[in-house]
Amino acid sequence: MELLTANTGSYPRIGNRPEQQRHRQAYAQWERSEISSEEFERVQDEVTREVIEEQVRAGLDMVTDGQVRWYDPISHFTRKLEGCEINGLLRFFDTNSYFRQPVVVNEVRRPEPVIKGEFLFAKKVSSAPVKPVVSGPYTLAKLSINRRGVGLAELVREFAKAIAQEVSELAEAGAELIQIDEPAILKNQNEFGLLKNALEEVAASKGKAKLALYTYFGDAAPLYNKLIKLPVDAVGFDFTYSPGLPKLIARLGCEKELGLGLIDGRNTKLESEREVIEVLKLIAPAIGSKRVYLNPSCGLGEYLPRRVAFEKLKNMVAIAEGARGLI
Amino acid sequence: MNEKLKKRGLKLPLLPTTTVGSFPKPPYLLDARRKFRRGFLEDTNQLRKLEEQATREWIALQEEIGLDVLVDGEMYRGDMATYFAQNLEGFKISGLVRSYGNRYYRKPIIVGEVRWRGQITVEWWKFTQGLAKKPVKGMVTGPYTMMDWSFNEHYPSRREACLALAKALHEEVKALAKAGVKIIQIDEPAISARPEELPEFAIEAMRTVTRGVDAYFISHICYGAFEFIYPGMLELPVENFDLEMSNSELDLIELFREHPFSKDLSFGVVDVHSHVVEDAATVKRRIQQALEVLKPEQLWVDPDCGLKTRTREETVNKLKAIVKATQEIRAQLRQRESEGTAK
Repeated sequence: MELLTANTGSYPRIGNRPEQQRHRQAYAQWERSEISSEEFERVQDEVTREVIEEQVRAGLDMVTDGQVRWYDPISHFTRKLEGCEINGLLRFFDTNSYFRQPVVVNEVRRPEPVIKGEFLFAKKVSSAPVKPVVSGPYTLAKLSINRRGVGLAELVREFAKAIAQEVSELAEAGAELIQIDEPAILKNQNEFGLLKNALEEVAASKGKAKLALYTYFGDAAPLYNKLIKLPVDAVGFDFTYSPGLPKLIARLGCEKELGLGLIDGRNTKLESEREVIEVLKLIAPAIGSKRVYLNPSCGLGEYLPRRVAFEKLKNMVAIAEGARGLI
Repeated sequence: MNEKLKKRGLKLPLLPTTTVGSFPKPPYLLDARRKFRRGFLEDTNQLRKLEEQATREWIALQEEIGLDVLVDGEMYRGDMATYFAQNLEGFKISGLVRSYGNRYYRKPIIVGEVRWRGQITVEWWKFTQGLAKKPVKGMVTGPYTMMDWSFNEHYPSRREACLALAKALHEEVKALAKAGVKIIQIDEPAISARPEELPEFAIEAMRTVTRGVDAYFISHICYGAFEFIYPGMLELPVENFDLEMSNSELDLIELFREHPFSKDLSFGVVDVHSHVVEDAATVKRRIQQALEVLKPEQLWVDPDCGLKTRTREETVNKLKAIVKATQEIRAQLRQRESEGTAK
């Protein structure tokens, strides 16, 4: 079995060193209209290049663009979709970061690509494969204020259509693996049917790309058996909330590729190689697919200081190297 | 009014008015803090003097406005979790972490056994109470919030980190009570972050903080999601909950109709995130809504949360609206009572 290391999403855009403050300074200048949007865009390009390079230097097999340009995972998508307005700040799950809440006022439509341009830029500047990350239709609908006068199911369907178009274009643009994030399902397990329908729609548009469904910020164990049957190629789990998950995987197995979020993306403490390898050894015999990913439990951009994010990834790569002969 | 207050010789009027904790820092203090952070101001005494000056100004203002229970305004604090972390043993402070937009903060890291190494807020309380005729609350950030807002490199679980913090903060609370503080507020804005942890250990932690301490305890809770922790949160061993009500569109009233609120309530009647100053009529309406589900003896009146992000003028006007509305409601209640007696 092949064990690859990957990032799960965002990466810190600023650090403590003066030269790592550029994004924050440019953002402030742009807010005060001291620099143009084009100039700010150039800084974001440079910082994107930098955080990709940092992930490569940490030794990752697969990187992300760090989501440097995203205000948050929710409004970054809805701001380019028709039918959505953007409201005030709301806490993002149980974290200390905030997102701007969308308000759906009209039929949701996607008049233009959302992250395709970002993906193409990242692909051009990266020496490692880039994984685009897309917020999932169920989570987008669930975290929006619904002023449509239609039910949640209809809202999810409309977002699913929009995300399916995005996935189709990302696949055409050369994405080999596309990650769909659906954290909201973990706290709303009774709405699994909505997620299933939405992912069927998205999966039908994936072309030659593989789809990975990631959940985090909750215990996925009660949904495990359903999640691994969805029409996706890989499923990613946040193990920090799920003490029972390794045994469950060992017992029920998995025929899909697995994203193993064994690296806590929200704590500065570095993982012990021994503990991670123990879990890998426990579940490896039950996995029927040829590949698993070792990755942080969630994106790192809002949860860790830059220096610690780099150390975390380096440590993860070292653990994976230590594990390769053993599983 | 609560027996525990009377017993301590605290005579408060019906519907006591208070605030949640922080006030905006005056420009001269913001400037000095900035210089201090960048190393341009090395004399901590100089900074301390300015903090005291700003505190003096806020105490005078609160008395002038006519609030019944005062706060020190937190002129000496940056972030409410980081301030305590810097003064407890076992913590380091992290590099910058993003909150939203272009906002970043430094987060505490638990790197060893958390211990109380001596008084943190007692001197400030003594200083403030010395300036005021009205009672000043003691203010401590609670163990659950300290745990949830810190990285944990030392304890094997969130539970153990939280309970260790509770033990350390218990010492601070004891020291406050010993110094003569009669009303102590334990801030727990994060307590609804993971509702399942409330019965697992958050209540136990609060019990550890308050156990055996002779004071009237208030717990300030915000950031919504009450529907997931109510009525379970009533098990927290405090006398008074301070909740944000105006920002949550007052849907808690409905919750209280279904399951009666059994403690005293500090009822947030002005929105701290809005520049708009509520008029006394709006505030009165909110108090009257609260009185539909609570007895007047249970009710305190205050803003939703700390006011540090508002301007001085907005703060003063919001507080004046609270005091004016409360006085009018008190008059109505007195009149109703005397009519009742007359019959």
